[in-house]
Amino acid sequence: MKIHQAGIAGTLESSDITIHIEENEGKGIEIQLKSTVLNQFGNQIRHVIQETLQELGITDVLVRATDKGALDCTIRARLLTAVSRATHSSCFPWEVK
Amino acid sequence: MLYVPGNHPGMIRDAHIYGSDAIMFDLEDSVSIKEKDAARQLVYHSLKTIDYGCTEVVVRVNGLNTPYGGADFEAMVRAKPDAIRLPKTETPEDVKEADALISRIEEQIGMVQGTIKLMAAVESALGVINAYGIATASKRLIGIAIGAEDFVTDLKTSRSAEGIELLTARSQILFAARAAGIDALDTVFSDVNDEEGFAREVRLIKQMGFDGKSIVNPRQIEIVHKLFAPSEEEVRKSVRIIEAIGEAEEKGSGVISLDGRMIDKPIVERARRVLELNDAVKNSYILAR
Amino acid sequence: MWYGNFREQTINLQLPEEKYRLLAFLERQGLALDGNVEYAVAVMDGEKMAASGALDGRVLKCIAVDEAYKNSGLSAKVVSHLISEAYEKQRTHLFVYTKPENKAIFSELGFYAIAEVPSKVVLMENRPDGIKRYIETLAKENGSKADSAAVVVNCNPFTLGHRYLIEYAASRCQRLHVFVLWEDRSSFPAEIRYRLVKEGTRHLSNVVLHQGKDYIISDATFPSYFIKTYQELVETHAKLDLEIFSRYIAPALGIRKRFVGEEPYCKVTAAYNAIMKALLPVHGIEVEVVPRKLADGEAISASRVRELIRSEKLQEVRTLVPETTYSFLLSEEAQEIIRQIRSGSRRH
Repeated sequence: MKIHQAGIAGTLESSDITIHIEENEGKGIEIQLKSTVLNQFGNQIRHVIQETLQELGITDVLVRATDKGALDCTIRARLLTAVSRATHSSCFPWEVK
Repeated sequence: MLYVPGNHPGMIRDAHIYGSDAIMFDLEDSVSIKEKDAARQLVYHSLKTIDYGCTEVVVRVNGLNTPYGGADFEAMVRAKPDAIRLPKTETPEDVKEADALISRIEEQIGMVQGTIKLMAAVESALGVINAYGIATASKRLIGIAIGAEDFVTDLKTSRSAEGIELLTARSQILFAARAAGIDALDTVFSDVNDEEGFAREVRLIKQMGFDGKSIVNPRQIEIVHKLFAPSEEEVRKSVRIIEAIGEAEEKGSGVISLDGRMIDKPIVERARRVLELNDAVKNSYILAR
Repeated sequence: MWYGNFREQTINLQLPEEKYRLLAFLERQGLALDGNVEYAVAVMDGEKMAASGALDGRVLKCIAVDEAYKNSGLSAKVVSHLISEAYEKQRTHLFVYTKPENKAIFSELGFYAIAEVPSKVVLMENRPDGIKRYIETLAKENGSKADSAAVVVNCNPFTLGHRYLIEYAASRCQRLHVFVLWEDRSSFPAEIRYRLVKEGTRHLSNVVLHQGKDYIISDATFPSYFIKTYQELVETHAKLDLEIFSRYIAPALGIRKRFVGEEPYCKVTAAYNAIMKALLPVHGIEVEVVPRKLADGEAISASRVRELIRSEKLQEVRTLVPETTYSFLLSEEAQEIIRQIRSGSRRH
């Protein structure tokens, strides 16, 4: 899957995460992360983002995330929503055509 | 049943810790049109990940006559809550349509047919008129609820403290539920700060025969549990019944009896419910402190 | 934060009653309603306004939370709402001007500081590397940094005065960077202003034209809602803009000198120039004020050109602007702009 447009999902409220994605053609996956729990969970958040992008087959994307202590499942949901908004497609596995 | 807005990760994460018997994640009225996709993803992944223990989990989807309903069903059946709540149900056909869709998805993903239950919310005059038909439209149906906000608008009136405008609808829904052998659930009371008004309404609907109350804030749980709490006598009796089952099982006896009287399934169920309710009430007291 | 507590509500600024409510709310928070606001939202607690925020292009404004609701996460709610509104309009690079004491709040909401005027204002953007990427691109596109200078112009529209300033500056350095202010508060839209400068300076081979977009701050877009006096506003704007110029833009392009047209009429611009003369040399950037070019004994200015257009004396404009600008004014494309100037709907 290729990212050509920008997409955003999530809020800045507690336990949520805002994820913005945009085109990063030829420059791989780049993650800019800001988090209230960066020291304890920074790596874990990056890992979840990496893993989710991998599952979608996205290799080039700039991800900007502002985390307010989101659970892994929230990170995953917000990232998938951002991708589906940027690509105008559903990111549920059963709806991918 | 505690309503939880479907696009709030913090509330979704903590929904079960306040001690309500059931939680309902809402993809419908609490989610703005722009965020329908986000809420669907969030509730889906949360249900897949978070363990809600023995709290009953319900998802209120958007109606199948909206652009979001179909995708909501696809995602939510797969996320496997205990039940899906259908909003603004007006006819038995609405329920049958949802039932058929769930069956199709269950089959597609190899889920046992009938795993996902249904609840129907009636929110219009037509829905109330059709209540019994709705309540008996599907085997999946475990409960029928009244949604008062839309209903009073449909009636061209507004909600009052006494609730006279809801009286007939509540009765009708209750009759339908009882005749169909499913639960009847009452509507929400939105003014979180009016505890007295809320308690008055809970007393009324309990006396009418409703099985439970929908709530919008964890602060309302304690009042519902207090007013719905079983009496000590009921609890004592239920403990004896459950113990009798244990004994019968130990003895390998197929027939369960207590004090010389046979105990059949409904009595066992009722005893379990009384004890569960009793536990729930105790839990919520602990949490409230 | 459960149901029924808070409700986000769009404010229709066209309705006097709603606008007044927002004004009154902001006043209680010690703020004003900025004149340039295209979208506003309030967080309501029942019928009471608890927080507010507004959007103006790519700038978030008027974000305020009532004292009684501090620490209930309302600023996050407002900012989330505004960001999603901006994204819907395809605006993804966003800015906020705020008091330095609020820097931490916006930092937690995903904003990064670009420049600050101590105790007055800090400019923040929603990406950690926005300005860095901008100056990297600037540097990459412009190769050698040898002996460069800069002018910043609005050119509303491009006159012989502007051409004179640019020719003068270009003859005194190896490379001249011309930044055309990118804001749409002027009678002539940014694209047109830029195009007329480009056409009018084609003969100068050492001029590099730039769209003065995100990091060259026009006084027309600088928000005024949290600054008390006009004098303070003018000063703060100048200091912030010059801070960004001297800290980021000048080093990236090797700019050692800035040329500026003398300002005999406009007090705001004159004040800006005075501050520039005081500040830039501290950063090793020389400032040269170039006297205005005269026509019939009177300084040529864009405002004079607009005045002539307004009073339907297009013929007289001919002596004040390059041929390229004049033929644009006669074109079909210019007629709507001219009509607007005549109807007096814009001050600038």
